[in-house]
Amino acid sequence: MQTKYRNRLAFARLAVYRTIPPKEMSLRICVVQFMHVEALLRVYLMTERTNEQWVADLTADHTVEQAEALEDLRLRLQRGIFYYLRRERSDLSSRSHTNLQQMAEDFTQEATLRIIKNIHSFRGDSRFTTWATKVAVRVAISELRRARYRDFSLEEVTADGEMMPDLNVLFPAGQPTGPERSAEQSEVLEKIRAAIQNALTERQRTALEAVGLRGVPLEIVAEQMNTNRNALYKLLHDARVKLRAALEQEGISVSYIHDLFR
Amino acid sequence: MAFNQLLAMVEAIFSAHEEELDCEGCDQEMPHLVEIIEAGEDPTLLLPAVQEHLNHCRDCREEFEALLVIVRAEDQGVLNQNGNGTGGS
Repeated sequence: MQTKYRNRLAFARLAVYRTIPPKEMSLRICVVQFMHVEALLRVYLMTERTNEQWVADLTADHTVEQAEALEDLRLRLQRGIFYYLRRERSDLSSRSHTNLQQMAEDFTQEATLRIIKNIHSFRGDSRFTTWATKVAVRVAISELRRARYRDFSLEEVTADGEMMPDLNVLFPAGQPTGPERSAEQSEVLEKIRAAIQNALTERQRTALEAVGLRGVPLEIVAEQMNTNRNALYKLLHDARVKLRAALEQEGISVSYIHDLFR
Repeated sequence: MAFNQLLAMVEAIFSAHEEELDCEGCDQEMPHLVEIIEAGEDPTLLLPAVQEHLNHCRDCREEFEALLVIVRAEDQGVLNQNGNGTGGS
């Protein structure tokens, strides 16, 4: 730990303890209070670390500085991830406080390992803590996706081999558009269907159906297609470019589709 | 499939450009983007490629939004050491 940081911690500790009346506290309350104040002080004061200090401390193998920096990082990431799980994830609303804390702890542990392993890739164009939180967020959300799609089968989703629905599937209540417009709508759907069939590879069609139409996360589809998320995004990007060219060749534009189906 | 899903796919097709940032590029820029937004700057001017990727990639967008929520809570001091937000519900 930097001397300046250590001095500030000692000074802050002194200032805080002078305000606590220990005479009226039991030993147990004193201990709890002590741990609480120490944790608060460390969380508050660790924001004083510069990016360079974070990196230096976390990579100072087998030192007190490293142990303290790891603990500070763990505290910070864990409370951030817990906040996200508790406040932003309605799908986890039935989980208990303890359960969410445990999840946050597990995600943080995995994230900390990744941060140390990849610390050389921190470019310094943001705060170190923002970068580290990004790593933790990725770990947490990836794990939640895997849990949610545990029983997902890409083969089942794409089994019928038919991506594009007919008009009566798109508009089960019926479109009040008249026969002429309905015919034009069917014709456009057929052109989109033909473009998907002719311009794309089978892998692109599978990915487009799962990700683009069914909303399955890229990460899940990538795992089942034996690739990675980045490669799958590129595959889909290539598919979009090809489809755009094919549809423009047919005289179809997005505004035309908006007007036709409005 | 609902009509809205079809429309979203069509819009994604017609907004395709030859050169686009991929997920790895977005991941690298994400912390910077979050801090730009927190500083009140316009991300579409400063990091348009990242913003465009987020429009097309639900995975990255979900992670970006989560990161923004946490960083904002940290900056506003609404977290305590147990991770409990003290503001709102």
